[in-house]
Amino acid sequence: MYAIEVENLVKKYGDFEAVKGISFKVKRGEIFAFLGPNGAGKTTTVHVLTTLLKLTSGKAIVAGHDVVKEPMEVRKRIGIVFQDPSLDRELTAYENMYIHGRIYGLGGNELKNKIEELLKFVELWEFRNKPVKYFSGGMQRRLEIARALLHEPEVLFLDEPTIGLDPQTRAHIWDYIKAMKEEHNMTIFLTTHYMDEAEQLADRIAIMDHGKIIAEGTAEELKKLVGNDVIYLKLEAPEDLKCLKAEFIRGCKLLSDGRVRLEVVNAAEALPKIFDLAKERNVKIVEVTYHRPTLNDVFLYLTGREIRDEEETNTLASMIRMRMRR
Amino acid sequence: MRALTTMAYRQIKRFTRARSRVVGMIVNPLIWLVFFGLGWSKVFDNPMARAIFGGVDYLTFLAPGIFAMTIFNQSFIGGVSVIWDKQFGFLKEVLVAPASRKEGILGRILGDSLVTLTQGTIILLLTFLLAENLKISGILPALGVGFLLAVAFSGFGVILALRMESMEGFQMIMMVLMLPLIFLSGAMYPIDTMPSWMRALAYINPLTYAVDGARHFLVGENVTKFALTTDVGVLALLALFLVGVAMIEFEKATIG
Repeated sequence: MYAIEVENLVKKYGDFEAVKGISFKVKRGEIFAFLGPNGAGKTTTVHVLTTLLKLTSGKAIVAGHDVVKEPMEVRKRIGIVFQDPSLDRELTAYENMYIHGRIYGLGGNELKNKIEELLKFVELWEFRNKPVKYFSGGMQRRLEIARALLHEPEVLFLDEPTIGLDPQTRAHIWDYIKAMKEEHNMTIFLTTHYMDEAEQLADRIAIMDHGKIIAEGTAEELKKLVGNDVIYLKLEAPEDLKCLKAEFIRGCKLLSDGRVRLEVVNAAEALPKIFDLAKERNVKIVEVTYHRPTLNDVFLYLTGREIRDEEETNTLASMIRMRMRR
Repeated sequence: MRALTTMAYRQIKRFTRARSRVVGMIVNPLIWLVFFGLGWSKVFDNPMARAIFGGVDYLTFLAPGIFAMTIFNQSFIGGVSVIWDKQFGFLKEVLVAPASRKEGILGRILGDSLVTLTQGTIILLLTFLLAENLKISGILPALGVGFLLAVAFSGFGVILALRMESMEGFQMIMMVLMLPLIFLSGAMYPIDTMPSWMRALAYINPLTYAVDGARHFLVGENVTKFALTTDVGVLALLALFLVGVAMIEFEKATIG
């Protein structure tokens, strides 16, 4: 049985096509991630699947019901944590939970017990009587997760659940998500532009770019698309930049930032050979980085671009440099 | 009924959270009542002026107007606050819920109206300290008139908010709408003394009928302009119409 079935989904805003005919299926009890850069159409897809936006064409079945024909049936069976906050900031954590429960048809002791259980699960029980406006970003996120679970949804949508949070809080929220899957066997549909998040959490990943799904599979399957170790070279004189030809080099790409990207079976063995080749041709290499393929390489391989925003690229570059030093 | 009672509950809860705002809401009409009303009351303390104001002192004439003004202001702001729900995201939580949206927004309007009525009651009780000739027996029926007014302008605020993207345009709407509607309502001077073009505007101003209706109960027939059935009828029809439109518009609301 599938929790989500999407066929040829198209969503247009006027002339702009945000989602360009995507199809995918999510099995019950699995964590499925949409990975892609900002503006790829991930959030639009979530809003269509959660009945908040009307699709332009195609078909989407969520928790056994058509999002266009039976939006009310879909709404009863889903929970969602939006990318942007959606709490009532003037009210307390408890009141936010209580109002959600009432709207979803819960009440009495059943509701009270559920609120207590869930606020304890996200470790906010002691702050239950505090207005939400005094909560940190991470606490608000946790409260939103607890709230989305209150009515025991069959399918949970998490739209960029850790965006803007510090690394510690992110890891914390990942733990909750894993626990939800294990304890409740819940189907979780996740969108993210963090590769590590998709890799940590998702059973299967669909890589999305410019409104299309460009690859789909487990993290391992996706990495096999690239297959090889990846070496990045920076040359002293950019005019020397051209692809080296040698039998051990499986692939070569000139990058827009002035580096050469090489694919080899084993980087440790290939590097000395590359240095020899460079010496022979009198090309001076000023920087070398190499690593095992990541989902970012998959994205780069498929699109020729990096997945993340400018600022984050820097931190990744320094991460790779650190890994090299080890 | 679930969505209705829950959303009404939310509005009332929010009101009890914001006590400092409550003080601010009451200060504004008090300023009108004391510095405007009490100030002019000495000027108008002569038989000729009393004749113009239906034979009562100026503060008694003004008090129902200030009451209606308070209700009108607060219910409109309450309705428009849907825009904050848009900006802070709570609207999405409501739209994605498996509950009747029509009921939800009706609950919100009713909750807001009850909150507004509480403020109106406080103002009304305070006016009794200043004005001499108000009827205590008129308080409850005047609150009834206030309720119709609150529901109407709450609904109007919701309709506006659903069409607005940010709070920026709102300041302008307030400036353009609020003061003229108050001046053209007969709250501060009788409609009959207005130039004819102003009087025409006063006739199509819903606030006029709320002020007049409140005067029926709080002061008496000699100060009023229209029949009580006209006042209540106009307000009731307007409230029904605006709430109806608000419910239909909210049903269609989407995000982004």
